[in-house]
Amino acid sequence: MPSLPVVVPLIAAALLLAARPLATYRRTLDLVAVGTSGAVALILGFLIFRTDHSGSYWFAGFHPAHGIAVGIEFTIGPLNAGLACLGATGMTAVMVFSWRYFTQVGTYFHVLMLTFLAGMTGFCLAGDVFDMFVWFELMGVSAYALTAYRPEERGPVQGALNFAITNSVGAYLTLTGIALIYGRTGALNMAQIGAWVDRHPPSGLVTISFLLIITGLLVKSAIVPFHFWLADAHAVAPTPVCVLFSGVMVELGLYGIARMYWSVFGPGLGHRAAVGHVFLALGVLTAVVGALYCFRERHVKRLLAFSTISHAGVFLAGFALLSPLGLAGAALYVAGHAFVKGALFLGAGIVLHRLRSVNETWLHGRGRKLPVTGVLFTAAALGLADLPPFGTFLGKGWIDDAAEAPAVTLILLACTIVSAGSVLRVAGGVFYGLGDPPREDERMAAEANEETGETDTARQRTPLSMLAPLALLTVAGLAVGITAMDPHASDALLAAAAQFQGQPAVKPADVTVSSVVTGVASAGGAVAVGLAGLYWRRLPVLRSLYEPGARGLGLADRFQSGVINDYVTWAIAGLACLGGVLAAIIR
Amino acid sequence: MSQRQRLILFSVAMAGLAACFGWAASGLPGFGNYPGPYGPVILHDAVAQTRATGVVSAVNFDYRGFDTLGEEFILFTAAAGLSVVLRRLRGEREREPDREPETDNSNKPGTSAAVKVPALLFTGPTVLIGWWLASHAQANPSGGFQGGVTLASALALVYLAGEFIAFRRLSPVMLTDAVEAAGAGGFAVIGLIALAMGLPYLDNFVPLGTIPGSVSSGGTIPLISFFVGLEVAAAFTLIIGEFLEQTLLIRRGLWITSRSSWSPGSSPSACMGS
Repeated sequence: MPSLPVVVPLIAAALLLAARPLATYRRTLDLVAVGTSGAVALILGFLIFRTDHSGSYWFAGFHPAHGIAVGIEFTIGPLNAGLACLGATGMTAVMVFSWRYFTQVGTYFHVLMLTFLAGMTGFCLAGDVFDMFVWFELMGVSAYALTAYRPEERGPVQGALNFAITNSVGAYLTLTGIALIYGRTGALNMAQIGAWVDRHPPSGLVTISFLLIITGLLVKSAIVPFHFWLADAHAVAPTPVCVLFSGVMVELGLYGIARMYWSVFGPGLGHRAAVGHVFLALGVLTAVVGALYCFRERHVKRLLAFSTISHAGVFLAGFALLSPLGLAGAALYVAGHAFVKGALFLGAGIVLHRLRSVNETWLHGRGRKLPVTGVLFTAAALGLADLPPFGTFLGKGWIDDAAEAPAVTLILLACTIVSAGSVLRVAGGVFYGLGDPPREDERMAAEANEETGETDTARQRTPLSMLAPLALLTVAGLAVGITAMDPHASDALLAAAAQFQGQPAVKPADVTVSSVVTGVASAGGAVAVGLAGLYWRRLPVLRSLYEPGARGLGLADRFQSGVINDYVTWAIAGLACLGGVLAAIIR
Repeated sequence: MSQRQRLILFSVAMAGLAACFGWAASGLPGFGNYPGPYGPVILHDAVAQTRATGVVSAVNFDYRGFDTLGEEFILFTAAAGLSVVLRRLRGEREREPDREPETDNSNKPGTSAAVKVPALLFTGPTVLIGWWLASHAQANPSGGFQGGVTLASALALVYLAGEFIAFRRLSPVMLTDAVEAAGAGGFAVIGLIALAMGLPYLDNFVPLGTIPGSVSSGGTIPLISFFVGLEVAAAFTLIIGEFLEQTLLIRRGLWITSRSSWSPGSSPSACMGS
């Protein structure tokens, strides 16, 4: 049973490749893809609630003897099965959305999506560092190819190259780290390495192999300064694919870091609190940088991508608190975020499908003929701003409770307000025509930038197969929050987080008044930021600070340069700094 | 960043990273002092448990067979991804053949016999060796990956002999796709059969045989190796073919566009419209 979520999509992918000559039977292929991802989601949903097993599954039946694992293990807990289930659910929604999105796709799109799904689930469930790496790579290779899905344009190929090279550099370092730890411990099984690390004093080898192993994951989860590729890749990847990149793939990187820390390296790093502080600082930095870039962006897909970077920082901060409550908050926040962010990308996809552009300036007021999409997009944007009862508010509330540091709470709140406010600015401008219409020169520039649509012909109606997934994801974002407010559900989530960390669950998680107040304040602040963004020109105080649309901040563009060499250099520099800091802590 | 700034930052960062790596490597055991328990355990148990004398293959296709499944599908995905990335570029060439300079192929010297004869001579033995490698994983450290690559290089020899048309006829995209799918899917299905018999996924359910290392021993190991061989051979043929076609398109644009109809993969309409 636990092997099926990986194997079923793989077999389906092989079948669809063999069926390439039958590509004219498009709907059959679509059905196979939708059915497969739906079935995987169901199996994983079943695995979350399976309580009668220890969660270990040994492939080919090679159980460990005398504490030595010779085979490969899947370790299934509620958190990782839940994350994989989130990925499969998102995949199902995306496959339904794509039903009428591409006019002629052959079978390659389906094949790559299915291998991507298998990679995600395998990565989540693996209890073996090398096996985890294999599925991580399968996910990566599929993602690079999906990003370059429209190679007739220069953008997708460049974005995919950025993505592939920066992530491959990270993956090589991950493999180096695995080799290092294997060279000393002779083990690849996480529990076995963890036991070895626990028995030995902290050492350079353990510290640096931890650092190298998480490098690939830091790149994938777009933590500053490893984040540059993400916006470039999201801007050019097909919009349905972005749903999975933003909603799940980035979060999988963070899950990998948490897994490596709690299952393998945590005890060996000794001074846990200080290591946590390092990650907390990284998370807060990422949240701030993502929010600032988000605010100045006018390309809707890039804007959403920067908001993902900002949120990834918040998730990392939740993990870095090293408490069950912080981790449970991050997990809940990831789920809530995945649904609303997925909805936002699908909304952007519908806009691109109908209006042939994702440029906020050009689109100003033109979205008024898409009323349903507008309402759903705005609702999802409010969800992104932590409005209760969206799942995001409670997740953020738990992180705040766990942080017990007003400064962190305030900074993260400000980041959410700015990034979600930018999305609300898009919603208000595009779908309701609020704010000042763009000046003539801006409009000209926007039209020059207008990208060709991903679909063949702009349609007169939005098909139901596109609107339904958008609506479902938005509702799911609400449902996550409402479910988690139930004391049984929140206790179960907290217990799952404690189990993941191997810690006793102590503090009961409640819906505190403060989390509701913070959520409402956050949404209110985001609306204010959105309106301020729309009426910026009438507010001289703000104009003196920053002129939007002028692309004036040369410094910001100099960092986000689009040059792969720069991106890799920043990643290596970040890695060297992290290595120095960790060395100072361990010594 | 300017080139200079980048170089300075990169050098400093690399120096820092190298220092970290040196710190880590100082904790490694000395050369030849393997401390891990994995090797001795495998050496002790492998032949008895799998009846395969190729212990590396036993690890690849049995103990850690699930990793190999993932690796096989990485290659599968890479080949599919390459087809996606290259298909459009080819379509563009095909649409504007008039702008390509007309090349008169008759004036170009053909492939020299000094290349042609050895290449064709070696083709047969290469196929044989590839087949042998792919089907003897249980006996020695060979296996589907090595065998598959060797099989694909036999086709590359056909191309080297100047027979691009023969290369394409021997490996039409439809066939390579089907073989690739059969190889990759077959491996996954072997695991499923074990599951259907109530065993764990990829369990070695085939009788192991009595003589370690003989052709019929090792249970699923030679079977899996065979399917991996199919997949790898087809994937590399596809990859080599795609790249060769790109090269030929650039070198002799018109020549290939007029003959592309017999290769289903080169027709852009089969993939996606503009």
